Amino acid sequence: MVKSFRKLLEKDYIIFDGAMGTMLQAAGMKMGEIPETLNVTNPQLLIEIHSKYLTAGADVIYANTFGANGYKLEGSGYSVEQLVKAAITNARTACEQTKPEACVALDVGPIGQLLAPAGTLSFEEAYDYYKEIVLAGQGADLVVFETMTDLLECKAAVLAAKENSNLPIVCTMSFEANMRTFTGCSVPSMALTLSGLGVDALGVNCSLGPKELEPIVAEMVQWTNKPIVMKPNAGLPDPVTNLYNCLPDEFAELMKNLRQYGIKVFGGCCGTNPDYIRKVAQMLEKEGNMVVARKTVQAAVCSATKVVTISEPRIIGERINPTGKKIFKEALLNRDMDYILGQALEQTGAGADILDVNVGLPGIDEKQMMVDTVQALQAIVDVPLQIDSTIPEVLDAALRVYNGKPIVNSVNGEDETMEKIFPLVKKYGAAVIGLTLDKDGIPVKAEERFAIAEKIMNRAMEYGIPKEDVYIDCLTLTASAEQAGVMETLEALHRVKTELGLKTVLGVSNISFGLPNRVLVNHIFLTMALTNGLDLAIINPNVYEMTGAIKAYKLLANIDQNSVDYIKTYANAPIVEKIVPGKREKAQQSNEGKESTSHVNSQNPHEEGSLEGELYHAVMKGLKNEGAQTTKELLKTKDSMDIVNGILIPALDEIGVEFEKGTLFLPQLIMSASVAQAAFEEIRKYMIQNNSAPISKGKIVIATVKGDVHDIGKNIVKVLLENYGYEVIDLGKDVPYQAVVDAIKEYDVKLVGLSALMTTTLVSMKETIELIHKNELDCKIMVGGAVLTPEYAKEIHADFYSKDAKESVDIAKRVLG
Amino acid sequence: MNITLEKLDYKEAARYLGYGNHELDEASKKLMEACEKELMKKARPKSLYRVFGIQNVKEGILVEGTNLVLTGDSIRQHLKGCRKAALMAATLSDEADRLIRTFQVTDLAKAVIMDSMASVAVEQICDQTEQEIRKEMKDYYQTFRFGLGYGDLPIQLQNQFVRTLNADRTIGLHVNESYMLVPTKSVTAVIGLSKEPIKGQAKGCQTCNMRERCKFKGTGGHCNG
Repeated sequence: MVKSFRKLLEKDYIIFDGAMGTMLQAAGMKMGEIPETLNVTNPQLLIEIHSKYLTAGADVIYANTFGANGYKLEGSGYSVEQLVKAAITNARTACEQTKPEACVALDVGPIGQLLAPAGTLSFEEAYDYYKEIVLAGQGADLVVFETMTDLLECKAAVLAAKENSNLPIVCTMSFEANMRTFTGCSVPSMALTLSGLGVDALGVNCSLGPKELEPIVAEMVQWTNKPIVMKPNAGLPDPVTNLYNCLPDEFAELMKNLRQYGIKVFGGCCGTNPDYIRKVAQMLEKEGNMVVARKTVQAAVCSATKVVTISEPRIIGERINPTGKKIFKEALLNRDMDYILGQALEQTGAGADILDVNVGLPGIDEKQMMVDTVQALQAIVDVPLQIDSTIPEVLDAALRVYNGKPIVNSVNGEDETMEKIFPLVKKYGAAVIGLTLDKDGIPVKAEERFAIAEKIMNRAMEYGIPKEDVYIDCLTLTASAEQAGVMETLEALHRVKTELGLKTVLGVSNISFGLPNRVLVNHIFLTMALTNGLDLAIINPNVYEMTGAIKAYKLLANIDQNSVDYIKTYANAPIVEKIVPGKREKAQQSNEGKESTSHVNSQNPHEEGSLEGELYHAVMKGLKNEGAQTTKELLKTKDSMDIVNGILIPALDEIGVEFEKGTLFLPQLIMSASVAQAAFEEIRKYMIQNNSAPISKGKIVIATVKGDVHDIGKNIVKVLLENYGYEVIDLGKDVPYQAVVDAIKEYDVKLVGLSALMTTTLVSMKETIELIHKNELDCKIMVGGAVLTPEYAKEIHADFYSKDAKESVDIAKRVLG
Repeated sequence: MNITLEKLDYKEAARYLGYGNHELDEASKKLMEACEKELMKKARPKSLYRVFGIQNVKEGILVEGTNLVLTGDSIRQHLKGCRKAALMAATLSDEADRLIRTFQVTDLAKAVIMDSMASVAVEQICDQTEQEIRKEMKDYYQTFRFGLGYGDLPIQLQNQFVRTLNADRTIGLHVNESYMLVPTKSVTAVIGLSKEPIKGQAKGCQTCNMRERCKFKGTGGHCNG
């Protein structure tokens, strides 16, 4: 008989069971043993434990399946299906004997390996592990994902359950006293994301006792309308005896106190036993539960670590977009992820709250590029992302791997678009931008745009998307072409905000197209939009006046109370008195520790005071900004190849010699290399703008081998090789064997560099080399890494062993010239 | 347990960076200060240990009450005369990895320095944990920390070791398919506990698994590890 957990949710409260591991250890299970094997070897023990919890008052018991995943069971001699089915049978038997109306939960914990970027497990691999368990556990009444610490892993789990079963889903994560999980996931991020994914209930389990969890649950209820689950530990464990400090009476008392937050499900985790559950059940029977009305969750988006509420004007950085940008297009074609990441960090540094991500370009696989970009971005920036594409498949793929609650950019008033995109928005729990245009284009009049906004809102709500998650863009028209339209846009914006109560968004920069002094027009228009109720400004945050307009607005509108943020930003910043386009310096430049590099006494061959001499000096001293500026100047009069061969390379050679002598060390070598890199960046920009072919002395593929996540050494090699004019195709870390082979073929390279840092990953290096040889590729192989020896390099048939980054350049010279 | 990071040892970090006994340059020192500040602010260091009885068995050293057998000659040698051992694990949290990753995009020199500072930090966490064990096990002498993968103690035991300590659940420590600890700035180790003074257990190059390719030995230095 399948029971209905969803029916149970209609009750005032539900009681879940307590710890399983604690009970098994008390029964003599050894630490480190795989508990799920007992499902087969000792079913009677499991039935007894379940029965005790049922007798104590549990409405739901967790089958003993916490770690029954393919990864943890590898080599155990048991299959997932075997142990999961046995576990559910045991739990079912206990119910039949003791409490037939109770529900059995398929209990699922973390896989035991971290997902990328921290670990090497991919999202899809994680999904497959969960899918396997879910399929094996169809006999349960619900599935519980618990003790989760990585929000992305939770998402993989929830999607696996949704897409492969009809089981109700409960998801609980484990938070530390600092209100975050081990991977840094915050309580609001968890609640927003999981609510959006449509779980049936969510909450916390493990890590802390009911007392310590109080601030966490108090926070959680602010961010979700879903039923809340509390499964605390029996207090905190003694570090020596490992015993928990909270006894059943006290535990029940503390749980009684937590009712004030509006909790639906009560249970226990580590250290609890049937006595705890009995006391909790008795308490609830006597006292009843407290019904607490929840407020509407405020409009917000998030990454796993950071929530951005749309409660005041926010900046959406627009720079990750190839439209009209040659260098960005070039970066996309070359899969130069570092360039894109640099664009991201520059914007967040300048004050972007959210980043728009658009990688659409003819000739590239937009879906793959979008997934790669989203994954690379969320590995280093903490701001939420806005996925910007017109293609539903691209949106679907990106929404899947996004760790948090993103914004989808965008739908419009066309039925067809909404039909395709709203289901995705709903499924993944995103927010969405609605453009006020339809098949007839952008209406001229404000009321027509308002009507489209209303249509979009109503349609979104029909799909179950909350109103708070619909942001309307009333569309900026170019003032030079459609001057009368400017005020229409602002009026529509104002009406959408006040009459529909929706959040508003606007791409600003378009307003000044074709006009001189664009920044002036842009930031005045932005200010006008803000006073009309703009919430989300899509701008280039690197433009001082634009970010400044928002900061000043927040000060004047009494949002930035006591001017705290404004003063923090500008108190020590240079005053920009005149706005002179093209001559604006960056407001504040961080030059942390860079001015005083005590490098060697240089043998600068160039005349003192000459630009050549200055660039050489900048490289020697590690002065990045100077290096870039001087290069810019030099390019006006000097051939780029002469700059590279005549200044940069000799300076780097001198540094290299000092490094080899041991008078100059790795950080200094890298600082100099970074200057050369900045100089190269300027040269590259110049060449692209002038449509000349970029400098290339040959292409080299580099990769950190499969299984290895240490890539810092490889990245140093990359920079040095680029410094010497080689074009480097960087495949990243944890690179599958075949991907290396594919890249060698695709880019037709004659040299590949492989790096491995662990003795255990040297095997992957060997395998990669074997595969290259098997494919009979005309490509030399150089290898490096801390644990590698010249002997081993030879043994695995590498052509070259490179002891450090400097030597890799020498090898490249020998192979490619 | 939660640990507070103390002042980091710049000299040690410089040694990791290959400075040997050379004076640290100003620019690198400033970067170290910046990195230290960020680590203090962002890392969430944690460690844990448990003391177990140990037994000599045919295959190696059995950790009592568990299925874990520490195999190889070097660990047997290391724990000679010990009746107990503390198994410990420490991590700087994945926030340190994130910082290193981010700086690799914005400032590679800083990334390299952050990497070495984080390595120093995790060693200092281990030192603090060792002190805790010392306080707890007052009547015992302690061996130095013997890591998985040292000598012939197989790194392949990493998974079982982490599971035995329940370290994934308590401090968020994981092992990847190559037996690397994740977060990467993490350590697992065994410390022998004996009522008798520990003899002949100088930690040294002979037991070190890096002995063939030590970057310190080449320059006449020593890692003191």
